[in-house]
Amino acid sequence: MFIWKKLGKVFTPQEVPGRDWLREFAQAPATLVFDDYVRVYFSCRPGPDANGQYVSYSAWVDLDRRDLTRVLRVAEQPILPLGGLGEFDEFGTYPVSVARDGDLVRAYYAGWTRCESVPFNVAIGMATSSDGGATFSKAGRGPVLSYTQHEPFVLSGPKIRRFDGGWQLFYIAGRKWKLVDGRAEPVYKIRMATSSDGLHWLPANRDLIESRVEPDEAQASPDVIHANGKYHMFFCYRYSSNYRGKEFGYRIGYASSLDLVTWTRDDAKAGLGVSGSGWDDEMVSYPHVFELDGRTYMAYLGNGVGRFGFGLAVLDGELE
Amino acid sequence: MKWHKIGKIFDPSQHALPNGCESFAQSPQALVCDDHVRIYFSTRARDASGKFLSHVAYVDMDRALERILRVADHTVLPLGELGAFDEHGIFPINPVRHGDKVLAYTTGWNRRVSVSVDTAIGLAVSTDGGRTFAREGAGPVLAQSLHEPCLVGDGFVQAIDGVFHMWYIFGTGWKRYAPDAAPDRTYKIGHATSSDGVHWTKEEARQIVADRLGPDESQALPTVTEIDGRHHMFFCYRQSSDFRTNAGRGYRIGHAWSDDLHNWIRDDDQIPLAIEPGAWDGDMQCYPHVFKVDERICLLYNGNEFGRHGFGLALLER
Repeated sequence: MFIWKKLGKVFTPQEVPGRDWLREFAQAPATLVFDDYVRVYFSCRPGPDANGQYVSYSAWVDLDRRDLTRVLRVAEQPILPLGGLGEFDEFGTYPVSVARDGDLVRAYYAGWTRCESVPFNVAIGMATSSDGGATFSKAGRGPVLSYTQHEPFVLSGPKIRRFDGGWQLFYIAGRKWKLVDGRAEPVYKIRMATSSDGLHWLPANRDLIESRVEPDEAQASPDVIHANGKYHMFFCYRYSSNYRGKEFGYRIGYASSLDLVTWTRDDAKAGLGVSGSGWDDEMVSYPHVFELDGRTYMAYLGNGVGRFGFGLAVLDGELE
Repeated sequence: MKWHKIGKIFDPSQHALPNGCESFAQSPQALVCDDHVRIYFSTRARDASGKFLSHVAYVDMDRALERILRVADHTVLPLGELGAFDEHGIFPINPVRHGDKVLAYTTGWNRRVSVSVDTAIGLAVSTDGGRTFAREGAGPVLAQSLHEPCLVGDGFVQAIDGVFHMWYIFGTGWKRYAPDAAPDRTYKIGHATSSDGVHWTKEEARQIVADRLGPDESQALPTVTEIDGRHHMFFCYRQSSDFRTNAGRGYRIGHAWSDDLHNWIRDDDQIPLAIEPGAWDGDMQCYPHVFKVDERICLLYNGNEFGRHGFGLALLER
């Protein structure tokens, strides 16, 4: 089992003044390392509208590279505007994942639209930054990964990677909408697509990670890192019903692979669970693992799926 | 080209329709069979909220298109599952014979909140000669993409020289034409190709037929056939706003031709279907479908109110 030392919550959106679009939530942290700081992208929300519904934006916070608990600055504006009327990302851009491409930074983000019979649908868009990841321009008004025969809805949670010079996109795809007490709840599984240019994607069309807690287990945040000769995936999973509390809520799982194709799930090894008390004592989710200056860190969400921010943990030892 | 209008040949109110449907017989599309022509269309029921659901049905007619032999009384293709692209309707359906199967390219409708609907193109297959179809996967084969942000639909497929061609429409966006008006959409005709009929490569937002009414022209339901060595496309077009009840802004049938399947020359003058005020198609002519049977070139199409009262036939005079 990996041994993680929790460093506590490092970013609290409620403490950031002067940004109406950043009232609460700092979800799905994803890092980009700079010489002096680590830029952590996250997704946030303004207050709800009159109907209690939220839109979501993505932004970043820069943490001091020498002391990751120290916030240096927060983006003045969201990195992307919401989409136009009837477009796939009209009601949200959440989450986002970034990768360097030469001098550019590319962001893959999930765009949210609202539907009548189910609450939402999601597809994955792409945007490019030429100022080091501060601001981004969308590649188009539509998505780069959308619904297909075998991934019919809810393509979300993109994680972009550049192993061996190619492009790999790990994401989740909806399997079905399950009616729970009259409410449509999405069931989604971890998937993968590959690309030679980052624009045209070939989905593998298979679940990477077997379900464990129940057949309708929902899996999210497939975060892959290569270390010591293998690929390590940290992800989160939850039950399909009553998952907004502690008992059936998100936990962090783990799988490993030698080839990105065959994955062996071993949640007992993940090593980061809920705390006995504090900001992450009901659920832990949306892991993102990154290496920095010889150490391995995990950024993750606690109670309320990031409503009050994200925290960090540092690995005792190495990923192996 | 000179077209002879035969008149309305199918009135949905005169027949029992499956799935509780009572009116509309939209977008007629033909599958020519040995001893009849099966004409698929989309008809409508209302759900519990009073909103329409489009269902697929068909009528079998003799090959002269003079007599109705039977009307489907069963579910030809059920609607999609909760949250799927075709949950709230299938309209239209394009049947394509392929070996001993019949492929159907469907346009699935799903309701949205800020706009009324989005669509995508699905594939279903029949192994019983087109009586029933089963979906190939719960999702679509052609959907929104980077530069086609919404409303991919109206697929019409033909295999030409070993390549599957699909002409279809893609949305260019939604717009409110008045502050308190519901958003209206605009779409244009595009083209995709495939080697297997399943995996498609779009030309990605290339509008292949020029506008006649300007950028706010909506073009729909392309249908293509070869006549005397030249490819002819028929489609319908209208203004993007105030088109439902204002006959001067509603659907008319347009035309374009091509010798290379790439460049299309618009020439609406080649499809002069007479507009006769007061007739079943006096206010609107839409959703054309062209096909050949027994050396005749046939044009099925809808008239007033988007086909609420049925579809008609015109024949090419040669």
